[in-house]
Formats: sequence, structure tokens, C-alpha cells
Amino acid sequence: MAVKYVSFLGCQIPMRLPCTEIASNRVFEKIGLEAVDLPGYSCCPEPVISRQLDKTTSLAISARNLALAEELGLNMMILCNGCYETLDEANEFLRHNPEEMRRVNDILKRYGKRYSGGVEVKHVVEVLYEDIGPDRIRLNVTKPLNIRVALHYGCHMYREKKGADIMRKPNMMKELTSLAGVEVVDYGLERLCCGYPTMLANEEFSLKNRLLLKLNRIKEAGADAIVVACPACNIQFEMGQIMLRRYGENYKIPCMNLMELLALSFGVPYKELHLELHKSPVLNLARRMEMT
Amino acid sequence: MTVGDEVIEYMKIKLGGGFLGAKVSGERRISIKINPSALRDAVKAMKEKYPELRFITISTVDHGLDFEFLHHFSIDGSVVTLRSLVPKEDGTLQSIVDIIPAASLIEREISDLFGVKVLNHPNMRNLILTEDWPDNKRPLKKPFETDLPKKIRPVAEALISKSCVASVSTFIQRRREDGGLTKTPPFAFADEEDLEEFHGIIKDTGLDRKVGFDWERKSLRYK
Repeated sequence: MAVKYVSFLGCQIPMRLPCTEIASNRVFEKIGLEAVDLPGYSCCPEPVISRQLDKTTSLAISARNLALAEELGLNMMILCNGCYETLDEANEFLRHNPEEMRRVNDILKRYGKRYSGGVEVKHVVEVLYEDIGPDRIRLNVTKPLNIRVALHYGCHMYREKKGADIMRKPNMMKELTSLAGVEVVDYGLERLCCGYPTMLANEEFSLKNRLLLKLNRIKEAGADAIVVACPACNIQFEMGQIMLRRYGENYKIPCMNLMELLALSFGVPYKELHLELHKSPVLNLARRMEMT
Repeated sequence: MTVGDEVIEYMKIKLGGGFLGAKVSGERRISIKINPSALRDAVKAMKEKYPELRFITISTVDHGLDFEFLHHFSIDGSVVTLRSLVPKEDGTLQSIVDIIPAASLIEREISDLFGVKVLNHPNMRNLILTEDWPDNKRPLKKPFETDLPKKIRPVAEALISKSCVASVSTFIQRRREDGGLTKTPPFAFADEEDLEEFHGIIKDTGLDRKVGFDWERKSLRYK
């Protein structure tokens, strides 16, 4: 049966890391996953700031995005951890709070929209693992990558419904990563935040007490690259390594999205993925991998 | 009809569009929200209708982005407050001294403490502060900002104005096209109607007022 989802890309992937979008499209084509654009969508909205600003605004914006997917009659697949948390939590909250749902729909109806709670929100790793399945993905791996990678799952990926196993999605991501023919190295600080959300509050703390600790361990573990499933974490690992230079810390570890890793393992030529958009040496690594 | 209901009905008719709302919060407590440009008309109207009108005082609240002036009056034991909100970019208050001479001292005090420019006051000298007191250092004036942390302001501004917290450069647009993607993602900002709808939600929920967003300039009113 064909697998079809609305693809929610958020702000950072299309605006700053379209290489992830390009790679995702290639992967989806190969595994037979139809990812439909969501015309007119907006920021999820951004999970750390928006909810602090105004809860009703945040819920109404999320509900509008969910209503757009509902109009298309499709469930939502999300490629960003932050967007996943915002939309999944808003969805659950609205479904279980009829009064809030009514309040939000009172706003939406002024614009001819309504959300009834009928959309399922899934992270892309859930879709790949549950809807497509490891076997179908394995069949597409034509170029096992043969490198050692450290995984950073990202804080929002641990979000689960009350009582569920918070490692459910991280374990899926780990298995999906292994399918690319790489060795996943453990470095002991997988659960630690990359520091992205606290950059606005305290840049030095975020870089030195979050990112640097992770980079130290990742380097010690002998990883050739860091693999993430969130564009914000990706940006933090890349920009953060550059910013750490001013504190005398010199790291040049490539950091890429799981979708780029899978695309490379599916034999998509690195030149087609525009990996030069990364601020860490992902392009160099991809070049080396293609030569071996 | 109570005094409160009577005053409200009367002011509604007298002020027309200058009347913005009213609330009776207690047996003898009436609050009428007015447009600042209707202040003098409101005071004149009350004086005309109620000869027993007694001026109490004017309170000023600095909300960060706006001044709120509360002109308190007594009518037969009931307190009627005229509330007007003036953006700090304007920062003026129409004097009512020619209608209510007793307002003179409090208007001068407001000028001293908040740096409010009182218009048409007949004797606008400093009352509390020395004459050489610097204009930019007023004891009760708060900074022109909200409590939104400085680093968060650009994020809030981008979210409200563009429906998106990141911007797409021409360099990224070229790379997108090279990679087989649309030049601009199908964001709300790419379509006038979608963006209008998004902005409508922001206005309906009051986020624009809460963070001080200026729709004409498409930016926050402060940096």
C-alpha cells in the first residue's frame, strides 16, 4: 500500500539547510513514500519562545497548520524535532481539551478553517521505521558507508505520551542509521542537549557546558561524523564548532542529517545533495566516501 | 438607573467614536475607556452635565510602550475614571487646566516624573525637579520596551511579520532550484492571502499588542 503523508519541513530546513530537503526527497522517492507539500503553512510555531509569548496564539497557529493537513485528508510527517514536539503536543492538547479546541476553532472559522483533531502527527523516523520498515530501506542501500558515526537524537525526540518508552524513537533512529552500513559509536552523552535552545539566553554556557562536552566525547569515541534528525541541532553542531574557536577549541567534525546519510548510502551522488551548504566538513567526508 | 449606568450612557452619546468602552467595577466605581483625543471633550461634557463634579487627581501608569492616564472625578460620591492610553512615541497629554484649574499641579508633576509633554498647560515649569534636570532622566519613566528579552525580539518579530523564524537568501534560493526544489518553500509568506490569514490570527489573539508590534513598519516598536 502506498504511503502518503503531508511533509512538514518547518523553517530551518527549507531556509537554511535545503540540503536536508533535497536528500529527503531522494530517499522518499527511492522507498516509495509520497511526501506532499503543505501550501500556506507557517512556523509550527517555534517551541521554546512562542509558548512563552502567548499560549493561545501558539495553539491557534499550530491548529491552523494541522487544519491545512486535515483539508488534504493526510497525516503529517515532520522532519524537525522542534516542530514535531510543538505540533504533536498541540494536537494532543486540543484533542483532550474540547474547550480549548472550541476557542481555537472560533478563531480559525473567521478564516474559513476548522480543525477537528483528525490528523496524526509523526516524526520522520517513525514513518520510516513503522510505515516503510527497515527491510524496505535496507533493500535500497547500495553503497554502505563504512564510517563511524555518533548519534545526537535531540531532546524533543524523547517526547512520548505519558508512560511510554522515551527511547522508542531514538532506538528507531539508531537502527535506521545502522542500515546505512555505518558503525554507531556510543559516547555516553547522547541524552545531553546540544545547547541550541539556550543559545539566546547564554551563548557561552550553551557552547562550553553543552556542545563542547558532547564534542569532546564524540571525538574520544573516534566518530567520523555526527548524525542528527533535527535541523536546529544540526545548525548548533556546525555553527557551534565555529564559535568555539574563539574559546580556543578547534573541532571540525562533520554533522549531517539522517536523511543525507541514507541518501548517500542509497547511492545518490553527493554532488546532487548540495552538501556545500553545511558549515562543517560534510562535503569533504562525502567526497572521501565516494572515492572509497 | 444608577449613576454609573447614567454616566456611561451619557458619555457614549457625547463622545461617539471617542468612547472605547466602560466598566462598573463596584457600587460607586466607574471606569470609562476613551480615545486620548476625546479627553478634553469628555471632561467638558461631564462638567456640563454634573455641576457637582469634583476633580480628584490624575494617575499615570508607565506600561513600557504606552502611558496610561487615569483622570479621576467624583460625582455625588461615585468615582468616575477616564482612562486613556497614549503610545510613548507620542508621549503627550492634553492639559485640562482651562476646564479644571485644579489639575495644574498634578499635570506638572506628571511632566516632571514621567517626561510626558503636557500640551497647552498655561505654566509648564518643573514642579518637583530642578529646572536643569535632564530631559532623558525622569524618575518614574520606564525604558521603552516590553519584558521580552532582547535576544528573543528578532525571533518574535520574524514570526509575526513573516510567519517564519528564518529568512531565505538568494544564495539559498539558487541552491534550492539547483537541487530540484521550488525557489521559495510554500510558506504562508509566499501567498498574500495565506499571510493575511496568519496575521489575522496574530491580531485576534492579541500577540501583536502584547509584544508591541507595529504593523505599518512591520517591526517591533522598540529594539
